[in-house]
Amino acid sequence: MTLRIPCPNCGPRPHTEFSFGGQERPHTADDAEADFARVFLPDNDPGSARERWFHALGCRTWFELARDATTNRIG
Amino acid sequence: MTSGSLRFEGRDIPVREGDTVASALFRAGVRTFSRSLKSRRRRGLYCGTGECPNCMVTVDDVPGVRSCVTPAGSGMRVERGRGWPSTEHDLLHVTDLMHPLMPVGFYMKTFVRPRFAWPVAERVIRRATGSGPLPERREPTRTTSRHLHADTIVVGAGTSGLSAALEAAGAGEHVVMCDAYPVGSQVPPGRLLEAIRALETRARAEPAIEMLERHAALGLYDGPTVALASADELVQVHPRRVVLATGAIEMHEAFPGNDLPGVWLGRAASLMAAKHGSPVGKRVVAVASTEEGLEHLRALAGSGTNVIAAVVPAALVDEVPASAEAIADGELVSAHGPGRIRSVMVRERGQARRLRCDALVLSIGLEPRDELARMAPDEPVEIVGDAALGGAVPRVTGGTLCLCEDVSAHDAEQAWAEGFRSAEILKRYTTATMGPCRGAMCGRALAAFASARSGQADRAAAARTTARPPSRPVALETLAASVHEVIEKRTSLHQTHLAAGAELGWSGGWKRPFSYGNWREEYTAVRERAGLMDVGTLGKFLIAGRDATILADRIFPGRVADLAPGRSRYVLALDEAGYVADDGVLSAFEDGSHLLTSTSGGAEGMDARLREWTHRLGLHVHLLDRTSELGAILVAGPRARDLLHPLSDDPLDGDSLPYAGHGEVTVAGVTCTAIRTGFVGELGFELHHPRSRGPELWSALMRAGRAFDARPFGLDALELLRLEKGHLYMGQDALPDDTPVKLGLDRAVDMTKEWFVGKAALERLATTPLGRRLTGLTFDEGPEDAAVLRGMPVSAGGEIVGRVTSAAASPALGRSIGFAWIRTVDGELPADGLRAGEARATIAPTPFYDPGGERLRG
Repeated sequence: MTLRIPCPNCGPRPHTEFSFGGQERPHTADDAEADFARVFLPDNDPGSARERWFHALGCRTWFELARDATTNRIG
Repeated sequence: MTSGSLRFEGRDIPVREGDTVASALFRAGVRTFSRSLKSRRRRGLYCGTGECPNCMVTVDDVPGVRSCVTPAGSGMRVERGRGWPSTEHDLLHVTDLMHPLMPVGFYMKTFVRPRFAWPVAERVIRRATGSGPLPERREPTRTTSRHLHADTIVVGAGTSGLSAALEAAGAGEHVVMCDAYPVGSQVPPGRLLEAIRALETRARAEPAIEMLERHAALGLYDGPTVALASADELVQVHPRRVVLATGAIEMHEAFPGNDLPGVWLGRAASLMAAKHGSPVGKRVVAVASTEEGLEHLRALAGSGTNVIAAVVPAALVDEVPASAEAIADGELVSAHGPGRIRSVMVRERGQARRLRCDALVLSIGLEPRDELARMAPDEPVEIVGDAALGGAVPRVTGGTLCLCEDVSAHDAEQAWAEGFRSAEILKRYTTATMGPCRGAMCGRALAAFASARSGQADRAAAARTTARPPSRPVALETLAASVHEVIEKRTSLHQTHLAAGAELGWSGGWKRPFSYGNWREEYTAVRERAGLMDVGTLGKFLIAGRDATILADRIFPGRVADLAPGRSRYVLALDEAGYVADDGVLSAFEDGSHLLTSTSGGAEGMDARLREWTHRLGLHVHLLDRTSELGAILVAGPRARDLLHPLSDDPLDGDSLPYAGHGEVTVAGVTCTAIRTGFVGELGFELHHPRSRGPELWSALMRAGRAFDARPFGLDALELLRLEKGHLYMGQDALPDDTPVKLGLDRAVDMTKEWFVGKAALERLATTPLGRRLTGLTFDEGPEDAAVLRGMPVSAGGEIVGRVTSAAASPALGRSIGFAWIRTVDGELPADGLRAGEARATIAPTPFYDPGGERLRG
């Protein structure tokens, strides 16, 4: 798999320059059970989802991205 | 004409200009080039274009080289791989006669019981198959890896590819063009080759076209990205648009006798006759159902090859050269040996007819090379030329279906009868299409077979098996190209350490001194006098801006907000699951900014974490990674202050610069941030300085240290120093799912804080049983060098309850000490009866050394 990730600073770059930060999610939850789900049970649905990416070998910026997990289409 | 010779199985074979290894061998009379994988049937030249496995030989100890596309070089050593005692006379050919006893998957069915028989049987089978032994000693080729960006990539440099590239370049695009072979090398002399040469001249003059010959396209991926491999590099091309001009190869049909030496595809025969000047036989029968086939027929006749008969469609009868008998609408039935082709059976108007011959040349259809297009159907791919053909449907009437894996049509029938009823599972069961041709030759035949059997003859194409990379064989060392590209991080003192005779080793991406010859002496120097350590590898981050304190307070579980300027504090970093990710020391400054020093190996992760939470919490923070910009030297030991005194006018006493404090001091003219830390358990000053000043600072400190016999110390001494002091190594003592309480680090967590990363997880985990805990141990009756205990299981009453993570014999305590994680029962550690190997282990409080901390407060 080779993805081209559009970094807001650097433009589209090969995915090997990036770290995947998981599905975008809130940083708090209402109770312990919800917090467990928040941390350990991502939706992992097929189709488009909001994700966090980090341009680790570039400008070291975090940003959000909508990617379709089935087709790899971005945006 | 002769331009040297190659060495072939003990004799010298002359090589002419333009020869391939195959054409040189063929001219010298070699007809059997290899033996088939399982039945050991003779195989001769067949496709002539680098697709089929028949011509594979061992060249200069490298097995599996396709001789038909390998230019012959003077001095090459060529051997045929398979066969015992030789390829020419292979006794294992009996397997062909035993074929009825060895159906598809016979060895999986036959040798599975008794179980012990399989390893033996497998060894025998392994020796009997394969393409020859791998060289035992060979220097690996240093392959490299690179990325290319382009508007368009054109795969295949035939007429369609060259035209597409010229058109794209004409439209102002930057074009990368690749071909597995040199341009035109696969094409026999004739009108087509002339057309290619004309286009090639224009393409080479076009600066916008980057031509990569001998670069095979292995795969097409999302992006789109096209992976190319040559003998010495791996190239990833990132174009906006992909043009596939991969062309078509001549069709492989399965009919009885189709793999006999002397059965040729048209291009191979044409190349051999017209380019290399070797007629493929004295009595040649040709089957030509395509325009290209007629072209080959003319080339053969023109080069003086005796074509006795040509089987052609009725409409093309007039185009057959007069010297050959034209058989209109005939049907090729079978080819007959033994050993090589001696006759063919042709059906003409219902009548079977035997033709004596010594070569059969087939041009019965075209199979587009469309693997790449089928790999990523959603990508912006344009298919041009012959690659876009629908392709004919090959017949499967007998003989060999898959040449690479030696799967006969009969094998396929049998597998079908056993219930493997689609191309995909036939492929998996018989391994047809899984050989070096990657299904290019036989994929269509397998699909045609499956479709015909399932009554879906019209859906032959739809039944093709999934195309996967690599579409052409590639050496593993080429794919491993980037593995060689190791980045070695060095501190500014690298040369200084080397000059001092340090033993350097890898540590978290850095090359660091493990010792300077005698680590025990280094240890003693730190405990009794003073030692210097290069700690420039520590992660160093300046956290500044309006919300700097808020970020630190949120990201670290301990109390941060009350950290006064000039003070430093040990901090843990948790992830959202409450697991300890890293630790470090946070120092606060007057202006509200903080300097964070983190573990050497965790620096990049810490930087990512700081940036992640700045982003997620929407904070206003400036983060500066100063890891490579700052060097750091730790001066530690009871005489550390005495060592620094002559080099600095700044007050270094316990009131001005107390333990867990920091300040700006000038040492030997170098302005440093000095942090009073205690990782080794002695009075210590961590001097953070501009990297470029590192060597002079180190030299000054070493000179000043002579008065106290101070020593530089490395990671070996540090391992014992920190263990005595009860400090953890995160990567060594902690497991990936260790929480602060499991590590005994709950003092670095303040659960009364409103929120920090991982707090909710810690609250939840507090309600569940602890499971295990990291604890200090002392060892008795154990080995003299307790370091060997590291990694050993800890047992209690014969049951394994934990594992030793660190261990050493402590000179300061006069006994062996260590860390281990141990399972808890009802939250309690087992009280006694612990053993680690021969040693008796006793749970002990940490720190082992100087528990009151008087020494490091100094």
